[in-house]
Amino acid sequence: MSQGQHNTDPHFPQFPALAPSAPPAGPPDGPETAIAPPGGPGQQLPDRQAWGGEPRQRLHPLSPALHGAKSLFVVIAGLSWSTLSRVGFGWFAAMVTVLALGATVLAVVSWYNTGYHVVGRELRVYEGLLWRRTRAIPLERLQAVEVVRPLLAQLTGLAELRLEVVGGGKTEAPLAYLGVAEAAALRQRLLALAGPGTAPGPQPATTATAGPGIGHAASPVPPGRALHDVANRDLLVSQLLTPQALLLPLGVAFVVAQFLSEDSWSFIAVASTLTAMAGVLLQPVRRVLDDWNFRLARDEGTLRIRNGLLETRAQTVPLNRVQTVGVTWPLLWRAKGWLRLRLEVAGYAAGEPDDRNRPDRLLPVGDAHTGERIVTEVLPGVRLSGLATSLPPTRARWLRPLGRRAVGAGLDERVFAARSGLVTRQLTVVPYARIQSVRVTQGPAQRRLRLATVHADTAGGAGAAALDRDLAEAWWLAAELTARAHAARHPG
Amino acid sequence: MTGDPVGGPPPPGPPAVPPDPHPAPPAPAWSAAFPPGPLEPWPDTVRWQPVSGDLIWVELLRLAAVLGVLLLGLAVGWALSGHWLFGAALGAVVLAGAWRVVTIVRAVHAWGYAERENDLLVRHGLLVRRLSIVPYSRMQFVDVSAGPLERAFDVATVQLHTAAAASDARVPGLRPAEASRLRDRLTALGEDRAEGL
Repeated sequence: MSQGQHNTDPHFPQFPALAPSAPPAGPPDGPETAIAPPGGPGQQLPDRQAWGGEPRQRLHPLSPALHGAKSLFVVIAGLSWSTLSRVGFGWFAAMVTVLALGATVLAVVSWYNTGYHVVGRELRVYEGLLWRRTRAIPLERLQAVEVVRPLLAQLTGLAELRLEVVGGGKTEAPLAYLGVAEAAALRQRLLALAGPGTAPGPQPATTATAGPGIGHAASPVPPGRALHDVANRDLLVSQLLTPQALLLPLGVAFVVAQFLSEDSWSFIAVASTLTAMAGVLLQPVRRVLDDWNFRLARDEGTLRIRNGLLETRAQTVPLNRVQTVGVTWPLLWRAKGWLRLRLEVAGYAAGEPDDRNRPDRLLPVGDAHTGERIVTEVLPGVRLSGLATSLPPTRARWLRPLGRRAVGAGLDERVFAARSGLVTRQLTVVPYARIQSVRVTQGPAQRRLRLATVHADTAGGAGAAALDRDLAEAWWLAAELTARAHAARHPG
Repeated sequence: MTGDPVGGPPPPGPPAVPPDPHPAPPAPAWSAAFPPGPLEPWPDTVRWQPVSGDLIWVELLRLAAVLGVLLLGLAVGWALSGHWLFGAALGAVVLAGAWRVVTIVRAVHAWGYAERENDLLVRHGLLVRRLSIVPYSRMQFVDVSAGPLERAFDVATVQLHTAAAASDARVPGLRPAEASRLRDRLTALGEDRAEGL
């Protein structure tokens, strides 16, 4: 997993007296008592200090029921259509019930043994019955907080809190589930504790993304200022303008033709085919469901993203945690002049198996003007249309006969911008302050042509690459990126 | 999109590199065979350190182990079946092995690292040449490792990790004393300039 975890908790069984049936504690009171100054006595006896200050809290008592209901879907999907046809409906229902009940019992046991509390600048999460685990999550490493509300949780008024921490292979500490008010309060508190990273915008810039002389630094930002709402109609149209949606009629025609010719309308065949079709359409449909009611707001130094129809997500990203911003112009959207914006945060590791759990959308669909406005908001002082990129030298056409004019790179005042993609045009914007390392690579063909590629690596995402630059320019670019990254990190 | 060089004024020429406190010493003997090329930018300010030649033996023994298993398998297959394809494969493996021996020698010579004021430079690779520039301030942790084969030849590997997965700063074939010196220096510099994200 990650750093900051340890398995030493001999006192674990002494769960503080908190009746299991007690309602979830509201906004935790008196955090000051728990926040021991670093190096103070609290450091030596963190547990006792914590117990004296703030009791360990349990998740919401309804969570096991929700987990059980969730496992019901998993069980049904796992048994699949073919099992249903083989064993008949009665047995199928019995199997599902047994498995789901078993899962619910396990969820109750795990709920009983799970607790969390805030100690100083750490969130501690305790879990496990046989293998006890205490995770101490240092809040200064907090990259983003997300409140996720799946459909069932919305019906029951619950929410899941997810924390993204640097170095975590996956989302750290999903606290599932908390009451909505409790989740919001805890999020607020964690972000406040996360330190200068989430300090109000007008504060002197701790990072170079917000250097001196920016308009925002001068004017205080009203809390929760709405930046942009995506119209659901645009979202629908944008997802209809995808290859999957456009090819759907062909697929339907094919299936219908096959059924007509073979004359076999069995339930299983229909169900399986529908499942397969749903699989193809999954991505656009998911995008519509996930990005429904997409609302972007800015609250002091953080970005608030809310989206989702069945499962609502409220994501909070401190602006200085944004590692890169990606702009995509899909081919089919060009007639509309639309683009999509992505942002990369360090916490969302590539190890996340489900792409959906990397909520990196900054703007699911929007026109050039909206895109420009949002980019300026996220990366102060950066104008999307003002990012000049230059083409690689003419001899690069031997490597990219068609795409030479689609790639490019440029150094802006605060950001490094790299363009790529002939069909789906992409632009990656990396603030100099976020560059982790610079690499120059040169393949055999590039060596013959005296070309080289310069990569700017970032903590989240793939970073940006200036493809096929002239060798001398590549060296200059590497030196310049290194120097500018250094200057951006050490202002003054 | 314009055709101008990146970022305004055309830059080529002496790049903007922080001056190195150490003057460049006379180039190591082997570099005569490898004239300053794509792997050696900024020859005035960067003092490249070669890695130990013993790394060649480590790599050769690794290759020998792989080749040995392959050749044994192929030879047994040939002896049992007598099919000519096994013989051809055997010959191909021997040829590939011989070619690899040559490239190993050259590849080890292509490894190099340089400590500058603010960053560590690592270069390697023959077919695909790579140069990494990793600022000390971005360092998350340093790995020093030495496998049994490396220990037998008294070398170790130092690897610098940053928060970016793509960062690639591994220096193999260091003498243990040099490896610990580099590790200590990197951690000291990293602490000085600590930055994280």
